[in-house]
Amino acid sequence: MSAWAVAGQGTTHNRARRRLKRAGLHVFLIVLAFIFMWPLLYALYTSLRPYGEIVANPTGPFSLPATLNLDNYFSVWNAQNMLGFYWNTAVITIPAVILTLWISSMLAFTISKFSWRFNLLVLMIFTAGNLLPPQVIIVPLRLVYLHLPLPAPLSDNGLMYDQFTGLILIHTTFQTGFCTFVLSNYMKTLSKELIEAAQIDGAGIFTIYRRVVLPLCTPAIAALATLLSVWIYNDFFWALLLFKSGDKRPITAALNNLSGAFFTNPTQLAAVSVMAAVPTIVLYLILQRFFVTGLTLGATKS
Amino acid sequence: MDESTRAGQVSRREVLKKGLVGAAGLTVLPAVLAACSSSAATAAAPSGNVSGNLTGTLKIGSNHSDPSEATGMTAINAAFAAATGLTPTMNTVDHNTFQDQINNYLLGTPDDAFTWFSGFRMRFFADKSLATNIDDVWSAVSSNFTSAFATAVTGNDSHIYGIPVDYYPWCVFYRKSLFSDKGYTVPSTWADFITLCKKMQTDGLTPIAFSDKDGWPAMGTFDILNLRLNGYDFHVGLMTGANKWTDPKVTAVFQQWAQLIPFYTSGFAGLTWQQACDTLVSKKAGLFFLGLFMTGEVATVDKTAVADIDFFPFPFLGNSYDAEAALDAPIDIWMLSAKSPSLTADLINAKAYMNFWAKGSTQVLMYKANNGFIPTANDADSSTYDVLTKKAVSIVSAAKKITQFMDRDTRPDFAGANGMQSFLLSFLGNPTQDLAALQASIQAFWDALPAYVVAPVPTPAPTAS
Repeated sequence: MSAWAVAGQGTTHNRARRRLKRAGLHVFLIVLAFIFMWPLLYALYTSLRPYGEIVANPTGPFSLPATLNLDNYFSVWNAQNMLGFYWNTAVITIPAVILTLWISSMLAFTISKFSWRFNLLVLMIFTAGNLLPPQVIIVPLRLVYLHLPLPAPLSDNGLMYDQFTGLILIHTTFQTGFCTFVLSNYMKTLSKELIEAAQIDGAGIFTIYRRVVLPLCTPAIAALATLLSVWIYNDFFWALLLFKSGDKRPITAALNNLSGAFFTNPTQLAAVSVMAAVPTIVLYLILQRFFVTGLTLGATKS
Repeated sequence: MDESTRAGQVSRREVLKKGLVGAAGLTVLPAVLAACSSSAATAAAPSGNVSGNLTGTLKIGSNHSDPSEATGMTAINAAFAAATGLTPTMNTVDHNTFQDQINNYLLGTPDDAFTWFSGFRMRFFADKSLATNIDDVWSAVSSNFTSAFATAVTGNDSHIYGIPVDYYPWCVFYRKSLFSDKGYTVPSTWADFITLCKKMQTDGLTPIAFSDKDGWPAMGTFDILNLRLNGYDFHVGLMTGANKWTDPKVTAVFQQWAQLIPFYTSGFAGLTWQQACDTLVSKKAGLFFLGLFMTGEVATVDKTAVADIDFFPFPFLGNSYDAEAALDAPIDIWMLSAKSPSLTADLINAKAYMNFWAKGSTQVLMYKANNGFIPTANDADSSTYDVLTKKAVSIVSAAKKITQFMDRDTRPDFAGANGMQSFLLSFLGNPTQDLAALQASIQAFWDALPAYVVAPVPTPAPTAS
């Protein structure tokens, strides 16, 4: 405001125009936000209505409500082992995120802080792997999983197929490329002097990695952890293709359980979709700050 | 036949086949059995007889994910455990995913036994050696099924690959109260049917509720018209590629169908069958041709309306094929996989499970949980059936021939969204189009499919032991 006034343009006419512009901007943003929120709000709305009422109404799902209650949530919760599916998701997501960050931070450290013959090539390979659509490798991957033996504590059928371990590994594999790329860019911004100082103090490579570099990378790692959690949580593809057992599915793939042979109750499906979306939304609200940092990581080099 | 008489049965052929194990079986008597260890059970169960104490494990793959069906499965597994002392480990995967992934499932590490469909879909996997034949189980239970069911579970190699456990017929549904209010009568001939439709139209109703958003509902009408006009043999030949789609008999089917299209719900290409069903419930439409499972949707929308639903077989056309009284009545079956890592060890248990499913008493447990599953076994207790089920049973048992629905009777890639689903939609969208050109493109599509040798429907294997 004051900047405008100082510049000598603070006439009432201009101010009114600015106000109008601002109002226009806000209307635009509100409309846009509404469009973005629409699917979620609509799912929420549908999930609160009884199916019979939607059918009885000539305008169907677009009609105004006569009843709004949580019956769909209760019936789904009672009919499906929802807690079990949430647990499956946790069993897959948490180790996958930790493993990915651990491997990619070590890789990024090696690539960015040491000059060796192939470090650019290795970085390129990891980045290129990131560009590969996962669907491309599904047939060979499935065969590999069916033939690769895995000993007992990691697998209950002696194979990679139909195992949490297998799913964790494939997530780790696919996410490592992106994380390595982001972390190595981030580590390049750390000043060389810090590491040299640590070396002079007699720190070995592992000490430098653990005591110097990792703490400095906390913002980047936190951002990546947020992103990874959401991505892996939302996975539907691998869980559907690499699992045979219906009760091992994570929550996203378990949504399919509600599609019946001949009949699907859309209100219940909406209820369970909302339930499946809640953890990601909560995670986002808590870690919003990291989320935004995460999206711009590597976008600028200081 | 009840369990106690079956328990002691060991056929001569199986004794010979099983050698030493069978020889032990000769000495097995039901009384001894209870006291005996696992070896007795092993001996007693070469044909999967349900008796004694089974040991080891049994893994079953089920597509019964709907809550009511899951309840039925739990009851059946509990009954099996009570009879044999073995509780199956059940892997439930939702129906659609199970169906989409069946190929991967059977090629990977499938469960020992699994739910599937009869007809072409069963033969397809039997031909690929992904199913284990259960001839010995069948020889013990075949007397409990009609010949139409036997045909439905016989593979191209004349071996038996499944136990039929339930079915549902396709019929024309209506609301009794609407018929009595308006003075309509159930049509039995095509002329009556058309007259009724015209009358409904003048009364401001949609005569026939129709929908084809999902692609498959229209197939039912094609099937029944082809069966009525050209008979079972031609229909099956057409589905398996022995007859050509360019045949004038197919033209006749489309021409007959074109007479019905003016009576259909407008905008049917964008409607799901549930939406079409809802117009029948709300009495905006008069008739609805679909499978018996539609009562589930009726109950969801309006529980009181179910008692008001009735149905009749699709009208007859007054030709020589009327005597066949053929109809689509898809049959669900249980099969044994081939690649299950545990099947070798569990074979006896798995066959016992197959045998268990062949009993009317088992199938009734599923029926009690969900009325959409009509038992196939002759000894099923029909006293518990509701009115609709009794009627469905009488219609199906009157049928000399039963087909399985187009997408179960022909190869999946032909029936799918790029194939017949879109051809039928194209016809429905423009029934007056050049039919010869449409038929030529259907035949061209069939011819372009990768080779798969389709043998004609086999005769049932001899069932005597």
